[in-house]
Amino acid sequence: MQGAGVSEAADPLAALLAEASADEQAGRLDAAEAKLAAALRQAPDHPHALHLSGIVAFRRGREDDAQALMERSIALAPDVALYHRNICAIYRALGRLEEGREAGLRAIALAPDDPHAYANLAIIHYDLLELEAGLACSDRALELSPELPDAHFERAEVLLLRGMLDEGWDEYEWRFKLPQAGRMLPKGEVPQWDGERRNDGRLLLIGDQGFGDVIQFARYIPWAAARWPEIVAACSAEMRPVLAQFPQIASIHDRWEEVPSFDAYCPLSGLPRLAGTRAANIPGTVPYLQADPERALHWSGRLDRLLPPDLPRVALAWAGRPAHNNDRNRSTTLDRLAPILAVPGVAFVSLQKGPARSGIGTYFGAAPLLNLGPSLETFADTMAVLACVDLVIAVDTSVVHLAGAMARPVWTLLPFAPDWRWLLNRPDTPWYPTMRLYRQAAPRAWDELAGRVAADLAGFRDKIQRPRA
Amino acid sequence: MDLRACACGSGLRHLRCCGLDLATLSPPGASEPLRPLLAEAQAAVAAQPERAEAALLALLELAPGFEEALRLLATLRSRQGRTAVEEVLLRRIVAINPNNFWATNDLALLLLRTGRAAEAETHARNGLRIAPREAQAHNLLGLVLTEIGRPHAGEHHYRQVLTLVAQPDAGLLANLAWNLKSQGRATESRAVYEQAAARDPDLYQTWLGWARLEEADRRLDRARELLERAAQLAPDDPGVRMMSAILTAREGQPEAALAEINRLADDGSRELGPNEWMEKGRLLDQLGRTEEAFAAFAAGKAKARAALGHGYLAEQAAEQARRLRGFFTAERLAFIPRARPAPAGPQPVFVLGFPRSGTTLVEQMLSCHPDISAGDELPVIHDLTQAVPRLLNSPLAYPEALCELWMAEQRTALDRLRDLYLEGAWALGAAMPGEHGGAPGPAWFTDKMPLNETQLGLIGLLFPEAPLIHVLRHPLDVVLSVFANQLTHGFFCAFELEGVARHYALTMDLVAHYRAEMTLRYLPLRYEDLVADPQAAMRRVLAHIGAPFDPACLDFHANPRHARTASYAQVTEPLYDRSVYRYRRYLRALAPVIPLLEPVIARLGYRIETGDDGLGEQCKAPA
Repeated sequence: MQGAGVSEAADPLAALLAEASADEQAGRLDAAEAKLAAALRQAPDHPHALHLSGIVAFRRGREDDAQALMERSIALAPDVALYHRNICAIYRALGRLEEGREAGLRAIALAPDDPHAYANLAIIHYDLLELEAGLACSDRALELSPELPDAHFERAEVLLLRGMLDEGWDEYEWRFKLPQAGRMLPKGEVPQWDGERRNDGRLLLIGDQGFGDVIQFARYIPWAAARWPEIVAACSAEMRPVLAQFPQIASIHDRWEEVPSFDAYCPLSGLPRLAGTRAANIPGTVPYLQADPERALHWSGRLDRLLPPDLPRVALAWAGRPAHNNDRNRSTTLDRLAPILAVPGVAFVSLQKGPARSGIGTYFGAAPLLNLGPSLETFADTMAVLACVDLVIAVDTSVVHLAGAMARPVWTLLPFAPDWRWLLNRPDTPWYPTMRLYRQAAPRAWDELAGRVAADLAGFRDKIQRPRA
Repeated sequence: MDLRACACGSGLRHLRCCGLDLATLSPPGASEPLRPLLAEAQAAVAAQPERAEAALLALLELAPGFEEALRLLATLRSRQGRTAVEEVLLRRIVAINPNNFWATNDLALLLLRTGRAAEAETHARNGLRIAPREAQAHNLLGLVLTEIGRPHAGEHHYRQVLTLVAQPDAGLLANLAWNLKSQGRATESRAVYEQAAARDPDLYQTWLGWARLEEADRRLDRARELLERAAQLAPDDPGVRMMSAILTAREGQPEAALAEINRLADDGSRELGPNEWMEKGRLLDQLGRTEEAFAAFAAGKAKARAALGHGYLAEQAAEQARRLRGFFTAERLAFIPRARPAPAGPQPVFVLGFPRSGTTLVEQMLSCHPDISAGDELPVIHDLTQAVPRLLNSPLAYPEALCELWMAEQRTALDRLRDLYLEGAWALGAAMPGEHGGAPGPAWFTDKMPLNETQLGLIGLLFPEAPLIHVLRHPLDVVLSVFANQLTHGFFCAFELEGVARHYALTMDLVAHYRAEMTLRYLPLRYEDLVADPQAAMRRVLAHIGAPFDPACLDFHANPRHARTASYAQVTEPLYDRSVYRYRRYLRALAPVIPLLEPVIARLGYRIETGDDGLGEQCKAPA
């Protein structure tokens, strides 16, 4: 979101707003807020002060305030393209996609040569699954600014979602040029691997992107290992139990300074491109991850003690990492899953971590719901629990990847516009043969989706026979 | 010269009373020449109290620290019904001389009868420290402990009295009998009442207490006979008359019972006390006289607050909740070792719930199961929270003292705390092998201490796999019922309507916090569901515990065990639904607290419905 663009020449108020904008962009939100408050005291109807205040409110998580402030600024200055461009992002965050599209179109009408306005609108089109229009926006943005990473990335997402993997992978490489991607790759002169077989040297594989990506693309490690004499891996500490299951990796590191010298590197998410993965040859052999047997035995015993013995056990997770850029669409709340929890004769096991687990505190349904999240110290624990449950139902987060990689029955609840990897219009995925996909019928339409899942769960329950302890 | 009379009403000058600087008092013995004045007062106190008072005021003007004179003046004020003055004077004696046993004794008794049992306990324990071989010191502590719900410990002290006196008087025996009744040991209690009556048939308290035992044991005719004996000896005693009203009500004559209560204050010589107002309110409720009933409850609470000197201690409650939430977080708990598997023996099932949520009923039903014994309201978790700093050798208070569990020498301390709980619970009779007809003993025992859910964090650490049954009921029904009863739990929240509502909301927020932050074997159970379909509800509960279903649980009203809490009379009846959504008749009176409860009502899935007829279809609890 951009907040600059006002003339400050010989205008103390403009200067104050320019400073506030600089503060906002540098993350000094307190300072920005103070300056904007001062500006609004001087000029309560100043559109740019209101607009900037809206940006700050948005960054503070006060989305309703942000919307109100920005709408006021637009009412006062309806022809400023930037305001429409920015409110487009706010509407998207609030799930008001139609209004976001209108704002995006208006921004383009006012600034037909602004590549950012097209890139912004392309995202809204994706969320509405208007893929042709989205692709056209990305293309137009790239005509105006051929090196614009956002437009390339958005283009990649549409191509990959449509299953056009060959074209999509190349565009997907632009992800490392996105502003927030800088820390994922090693610094220095060592080249990125080009996929060629090497007879000597060491390849560094990097667990980039989210946990789910690491789990999904870890399947390519044996393929890479067949092309290098030695492989080492760098990943976040949480991913150790996953990568440690690949004996081809000589050592795993979670700090850059501990990584031994290497001759080339490759992000795990770059391996499908190098391996020439197409829709028809996605390597879907599972399981490639297993629970540690001792740990699974421990958790099995614990679940037996904590849950009624004769009820099928269904693991649940309803929210991903809040910092994920699509978290608002992919995550939900426990209460939105009420139809699932209302299915009688099932015991639920929450694997939810983070703030979203607060929903458990206010669940008072009849079905047992065991809050295991606080007891899961590592993904090794999560895998062990997944080995002990009959089914996993979760939104698009690392849990479904783990379950899929372990070949456990898993039902993934997808947003209307899913991540590219889940493709379109199919109830299954070539990436994980034991996974069933549940797609929203409309943006953020969780209730209808939960109803469908609940109906299927009742059928699933009837097929599961648990021995009485 | 400052001649102002003291505002406390003692009759002394301010400078000789509440304005007295204790440092200026003469040393013990210096006032001995004034003893004749004391003797004069003592001689006159029965027949000429005005003369006694004059002598005492004169004496205390000269020697304001004269302990015996202060105590006698306190006695005089007590007889005049001026409890606040009596308390001021007794506290002064204890401040002047902390080793004065009799003043300590009197103060403890005063605190007990004005509803401040916790403070009474402190003084009663001091009394025993001062005079360990004094029979009354043990008697007093026995009395206090029985009153505060620790009858097992109280019994020990009563038995100590028996070893200290050659010939126990009837009063002591009656106290012991009451204690045994409190433990649910009706047969033993009856035998001791018989002894007490034989020892002194003119002590009406014996007959009264015995009548109460029989009433609780559902032998209403026998209770009436015994009460007649008490009434012959003390026809005007309010306790006797009140018991008669209670019996009349249980005999199915609420109108007549109400008339009896009204007559207690008819002649203007006394006002109804808090418990009498509450009973009156309940009878009016039963008769459908809703507005009068609520007014009676409110009057009773006002009386109770006046005696206590304060209402709900909101700030203390909020501070405790803040500290518990701050300590028990998933991140911190990840570093705290859990207790290892418990030693063999009966294990706890925690029946949680705000007072008046239906926990007594659930316990009564569960304890009909051959594998489950009733532990009743066990104070052990609360005791542990008090003892944790000492047991962990921590400079911090609870819960922060649990940080010591990170220290090498305390890594296994949770096992010790867990074992202390089990030993404490077993010692309190929570589960005794053979209780259900011989070995082996029950597999589980219930602990239904109200508001134990406040300490769910500690419970979860000590018993990470213990079944937790959280009994829920429409919050407005809970609040109304607490308001209609005399309870001291929860920072005295029951002393005012808003206090109940605020403490309810605070407690539910705390439970939500624990449930989100910890792995707990938690089962919510709605009272309304239990009433609507007891079998389905009990199947769910027993499955959660891991016990097979037993139809005996549905015949709980035939359970010979009698519950010891305010609900005792209710759980001797088959299930009834007249308490379900009772709030609807009281909506207007409850209006001030509805905004406080609306969020939690919504969270629990209840609605607020109007109407004063029976259960409407639309008002059933959610599935």
